[in-house]
Amino acid sequence: MKALALLATVGPMDGSEDRSEPTGCSLEAAKAGDLAAFNLLMRQYERLVLVTALRLLGVMEDAQDASQEVFLKLYRNLNKVGASGNLAGWLYRVTVNVCHDAQRKRRASVPVEDAAGLAAVTADPQRAAVETERRRTLEMSLRMLSERERAVLVLRDLEGLSTQEVALVLGTSEATVRSQISKARVKARDFLERYFRRRT
Amino acid sequence: MNCSDWEERIALHAGGDLPPAEAAEVERHLRECAGCQVLASGLEQSLALLKEAHNEPLSPAHFPAVRARVVAELEQEQRRGAFWARRRAWGYGLAAVAVALLVMLALRPGRTPAVARTNRSLTVAAPTAPVVATREKIGGGRESAVRPHIRRVARRVVRANVPDTSNPEPLLVKLVTDDPNVVIYWIADRKRGE
Repeated sequence: MKALALLATVGPMDGSEDRSEPTGCSLEAAKAGDLAAFNLLMRQYERLVLVTALRLLGVMEDAQDASQEVFLKLYRNLNKVGASGNLAGWLYRVTVNVCHDAQRKRRASVPVEDAAGLAAVTADPQRAAVETERRRTLEMSLRMLSERERAVLVLRDLEGLSTQEVALVLGTSEATVRSQISKARVKARDFLERYFRRRT
Repeated sequence: MNCSDWEERIALHAGGDLPPAEAAEVERHLRECAGCQVLASGLEQSLALLKEAHNEPLSPAHFPAVRARVVAELEQEQRRGAFWARRRAWGYGLAAVAVALLVMLALRPGRTPAVARTNRSLTVAAPTAPVVATREKIGGGRESAVRPHIRRVARRVVRANVPDTSNPEPLLVKLVTDDPNVVIYWIADRKRGE
């Protein structure tokens, strides 16, 4: 549990997110049903949840649906979460689980047009097309991974959690995380290498 | 040691997941093995590409959309909760009033035994006499059609024999029980045409 507490102090991903634990006041008000206080709580963690969901699902619309579900779960479990004292760790765990459920539901169709929802904003259409293609490829390299490998890679390499924190979020051992992360990295590298070799 | 045995450790090393001693060992191997150097540089490049692609900020417009959906859902839940809470409160209130009325009726002096006896007598006594009295008052001359053995549905019997009149008079039923101290009068308003 000590390691999970570290999650609260992990640095901001885009420099815009405040992942410090919520003030007791806003948490208590949200528990009492104050939606304005809960809105503040969501603002504090929305980037963590939406970005993680987007990295796991690859499509903005699905990521928004998943984020909505995560926050509804948070509202309904505020008492339990507040008692545990580690909201960030809880949110990572629930986001991963919700995304796994979503992936199972929509297994059939795998659109990658959203390519991480990171729209290339550029005036040059040719450059934009190249950029979009590159994003699609990177997104596809994540899709080649199993659910577990993808979650480990997203949490460790993209979210920047430590191996110990990833193990706690996913409810597994550090040895398993290390094994999965190494496999995930090798698979992603193989995919990207094959892709770029074919292109050149 | 075969190079494939190094693969896992090189992959961990690429992400900085090895303790210093193991990391030094991997670096030593990489200096000696060209194949593993290619693997290591490929891993580092692909990781850098992934991180770069995913580090770009999201459009700020995506966040309020999620918040708005969550708040709308919660407001709807709260409204539903309030509605059911009001319904529960009304239910409890009505139940309390009903219980209070029953208690008041039961505690009224001199009424409780009569009610009890009345209930019993309705199934035992033959109310021929009172029904006759009623007929006399309403239509006259047709009381003989009333059969005493269907007294439990006395109201229906009376209504079946009431002449079809356009002048609605109150209907009076008098039930005499086998207890001479208990006589039940039942007065009911009749609608036109009944």
